[in-house]
Amino acid sequence: MNIFIGLINGMISGATPILLAALGGTFTYYAGIFNIAMEGMMLGGAFFGVLGSYYFNSWPMGILCAIIGALLMALIFIVFTVFLKTDEFVTGIALNLFAVGATTYMLRQIFNVKGVFSNPGIIPIPHIDIPFIDKIPVLGDILSGQNLMVYVTVVVLLISVFAIYKTRFGLRLRAAGYNSPSLDSSGVRTSTMRIWSLVICGVLCGLAGAFLSLGYVTLFSENMTAGRGWISLAAVILVNGNPWGIALISLVFGFTDGLGLLLQKFLPNQFTSMVPYLATLVSLYFYSIQKRKKSI
Amino acid sequence: METIIEMKDMIKVFPPNVVALDSVSTDFRKGEIHAIVGENGAGKSTLMKVLYGLEPKNGGEILFHGQSVNFKDAGEAIAAGIGMVHQEILLIQEYTIWENIILGIEPVGFLGRINRVQARKNVQAKIDEFKFNLNLDDKIEDISVAARQKVEILKLLYRNVEVLILDEPTAVLTPQEIPQLFSELQRLRDNGKTILFISHHLDEVLALSDRITVMRKGKKIATVEARDTNKEDLAKMMVGRDVLFLSKREAKQPGAVVFAIKALTYIDGNKRKRLDDVNLQVKAGEIVGIAGVEGNGQFELVNSIMGLTRPTSGQILVNGKELIAADILERRKFVSFVSQDRSKMGAAVKASITENVMMTHHRLNKQFTHWKGALLDYRYSRQFTRKIEEQFGVSMGSMDNPFKSLSGGNQQKVILGRELLLDTPFLLLDQPTRGLDVGSIEYVHEIILKMRMQDRAILLISADLEELFRISDHIVVLNRGKIVADLATEKTNLEQVGYLMLEGKDKEDAKEIR
Amino acid sequence: MRKKFVSGVLGIVVALGLGAVIMLIEGFNPITTYSALFSYSLGGFYPLTTTLRNSVPLILTGLSASIAFASGPVNLGQPGQLLIGALFATVGGLYIHLPAPLMIPLLIILAMIGGALWSGIAALMRRFFSMDEFITTLMLNMIADFFTYWAISYPFFDKTAYSPMTPQIDKAGWLPEFGNFNTNILVMVLVFVAVWFIFTRFTAGYEWRLTGQNSIFARLGGCKIDKNYVTVMLLTGALAGLAGGLVVMAGPHRFLKGLGANYAWDGVMIAMVANNDLIGTLLYGLFFSSLQTGAVGMELITAVPSEFIQVLQSVIVLVIVAGRGMLDIVLDKTQIKRKARERTA
Repeated sequence: MNIFIGLINGMISGATPILLAALGGTFTYYAGIFNIAMEGMMLGGAFFGVLGSYYFNSWPMGILCAIIGALLMALIFIVFTVFLKTDEFVTGIALNLFAVGATTYMLRQIFNVKGVFSNPGIIPIPHIDIPFIDKIPVLGDILSGQNLMVYVTVVVLLISVFAIYKTRFGLRLRAAGYNSPSLDSSGVRTSTMRIWSLVICGVLCGLAGAFLSLGYVTLFSENMTAGRGWISLAAVILVNGNPWGIALISLVFGFTDGLGLLLQKFLPNQFTSMVPYLATLVSLYFYSIQKRKKSI
Repeated sequence: METIIEMKDMIKVFPPNVVALDSVSTDFRKGEIHAIVGENGAGKSTLMKVLYGLEPKNGGEILFHGQSVNFKDAGEAIAAGIGMVHQEILLIQEYTIWENIILGIEPVGFLGRINRVQARKNVQAKIDEFKFNLNLDDKIEDISVAARQKVEILKLLYRNVEVLILDEPTAVLTPQEIPQLFSELQRLRDNGKTILFISHHLDEVLALSDRITVMRKGKKIATVEARDTNKEDLAKMMVGRDVLFLSKREAKQPGAVVFAIKALTYIDGNKRKRLDDVNLQVKAGEIVGIAGVEGNGQFELVNSIMGLTRPTSGQILVNGKELIAADILERRKFVSFVSQDRSKMGAAVKASITENVMMTHHRLNKQFTHWKGALLDYRYSRQFTRKIEEQFGVSMGSMDNPFKSLSGGNQQKVILGRELLLDTPFLLLDQPTRGLDVGSIEYVHEIILKMRMQDRAILLISADLEELFRISDHIVVLNRGKIVADLATEKTNLEQVGYLMLEGKDKEDAKEIR
Repeated sequence: MRKKFVSGVLGIVVALGLGAVIMLIEGFNPITTYSALFSYSLGGFYPLTTTLRNSVPLILTGLSASIAFASGPVNLGQPGQLLIGALFATVGGLYIHLPAPLMIPLLIILAMIGGALWSGIAALMRRFFSMDEFITTLMLNMIADFFTYWAISYPFFDKTAYSPMTPQIDKAGWLPEFGNFNTNILVMVLVFVAVWFIFTRFTAGYEWRLTGQNSIFARLGGCKIDKNYVTVMLLTGALAGLAGGLVVMAGPHRFLKGLGANYAWDGVMIAMVANNDLIGTLLYGLFFSSLQTGAVGMELITAVPSEFIQVLQSVIVLVIVAGRGMLDIVLDKTQIKRKARERTA
């Protein structure tokens, strides 16, 4: 039973950063942006999260700084792709490498360390016990006592679904991706929608980064996002941007993450760490053969 | 009548050196249908785009209701009361009619949630007011092109525009759908709307409009009252010389069957029959034209012949050789191909002219390579490009310039040169004159007819019925993937073919349609 | 050509200027910093040869990315292909013992096979299951990272070492060195010339380039684009693998953790600034190498950490690529103005 609960909880915390970043990615996906900069935005968020939490000795400030950090990355992306019309792919790759370089540089400049910064002064994001529910056996252990950011993620998911499919913003957002000249000729500037989608993506990647460095673990290490931004991108593409589908896929990846931890008893941890990436390949396989069947 | 829009000395330059508008001045009156005519590239669309704010002007002044205006984008133009329906329809396929219409001015409730009930009621009211036959919950991807055009017009009426600009609205319609559009436009004019109408079909222009502005090469030639002019005069102003609307086809006895398709059927991934038992043959020295509304199987037919898609069943034969399972390179030994979209299928626009000319030859013609095909002979390729330049009268700067530096007509000449010098028995021409100016069209027709005299077998697919009537020996009508008629050009007329294209069968009592 | 050169030089100047601004904000002196940087990478025989030696993996991975991007496949797997190539060369060097004239070519070939194997997996997934190489190569990078980490931690672990690494390879597999001049640069130049010839003068290269620009046109023109796709993937994988092999054979002569560093991603960036042009890749590769080589000296002399160079590199990429587009727009605008003036006059 404990293994089961452990697996479920591992799944949830593994899924959270991927889901948050992928929900950000779904906004840019619908706006018609080939956004591969989630990795960099998340990394920026994770670093600034630790910075804020450490300097102000407060996790809310950590989250706030994480959002600002990721927004800075998003801002660079906006300046280059929307205003200077630079290729999205090139900008994304350069931005991701910029994020690795800049965080490593700042790690050295600000904290005077190489590789990892961990310190008791970094205040993590707390776990939340929900009264009454936490008393229910099994279910209580899963529904209650999760990191605050897990609940935030659920709320973000619901808001995303509402915003994308039910609101004026969503109608215009999707129009930007489906047919931008049509949106422009309707009197709404596509670039405005693209900018907003990137801002939202920045905020959500900031939250994802904050969860990584202040929830999942309480430290910052060089390049700690370890390809999660790419997995998020894969998740968005696999379900064509549908938020519910993204939630499901994220849980699957979270599960493989937890499974990897469980398998460490039998396999060297280098192999168990591969599991989420292998899982991405497997899901891409199913997606591709299904898509091919349709197109023939 | 009062003047609603006045344009003075409009200038527009497209880099590097195309002057699209060269000091054009004209005016439009309230409540008139005003046609703007000219060849492709005469600047008529550009003039309208500049007015509408889609292209920034580089000089001149626009007065709207006597006020100087300068719209920065379409939104501002619409807000001021000017709307435009584009040639390529700008609607969102994935959205319903009502969603498309409210986009940009959505009625919303709490938290920006769209008020569906209100929105649908408003749109329905507009549909009723103008008596458009539309169902507001249909998705755009499911309705006909003519209906989409109506949605575009309705979208602008919903925004209460006074001036409607239509960019070649009839280009996507069949002959039978055109009168209906015209009567709707006339009704709108009678309600006080001003309609600006871009076209190069002179019959339509004369039938519909009150006044006509003629443009040529970026300049305005004249603005005339429709009742004071005729087709010949307009054509002369448009082209700058007399134009013959006659076939130049010489009599010729066709030879043996070169190209044949037998019982070709193609069923796509959604189990839809795209080609249905197509049988076709083309003899040496014969031009067979395929007529049909776009999307009735032409695309699949071309792809099947070229080997881009594998048909479900049937045969494709050239000189008796079965090509159905052959790879593309094998087919290219027998088939020359000019595609309808130069930049998509006909060329790599950023590569040099020479590199575009080498394609296919580099595999089929041994003179282009050394070392058993491994090493390219660039010197020979350049000589070959020179040959095409001279033989086809291409005007090019350096042959090392990118292909896109050529004008549309010259691009098509280079492609024709490359394909015709492959010396294949069969030519597949998919809308070879699309987007070309009148001079280039005539030239391309001349070359096609020359190939006919050289006993090549030619299959011509065209959306332009006049073109088909002008050069083909036979006209085959394609409807829903089926060949519904095979007619000798001399024994049919525009009306009959138009009806067949639309309905898939002959009209029972042949009446005049227009 | 001149426009490319102008936008490149202009971009580098602007990026270095931005770097100077960052330094000023941080309280460093940009002039001493830059002079330290370039005197340690270009000022003299030792710095120059070090820059050359370090440029080899950058140029080879850059070449790999340039050829892939210019031919169509979005092969982003250079980091993984480099690691597997390095592992193949290392394992060969540990267990095979031959005289140097045979050993060195053998290890080079092994490294290329390793890289090609890794990109070949992605190519097969694309050919048979239509899986997009853009994501599969990225995932294979992570997998290669963990796999090589395991390989040097367990089966090929040097039992005398404290951290994951292999023992040194057979001395016959070490690339000869003259003073500080390492022959890895000769191998690179040889490969570069061969690849340049194939890419610009051979039928195969012509088909790859045209396919990269318009695949449907190339296909209709009779190019075997599926076969070409696999060839390009294998070739670019082999180039990245070779980069890894040469890193082992020229440098530490063993596989230690973090060996690939950022070479391969830097190679991708180099391809992007060079706009997939091969000569451009060579020049930018040398330039990036001079930055990275000088970074150590810069850190020694001034207080600027060497990581600053990573930031500077990505700024250079963004500025040059964005500048290229801007230059076109500005040139167009001036042309429009001139024409419009002619018309009104």
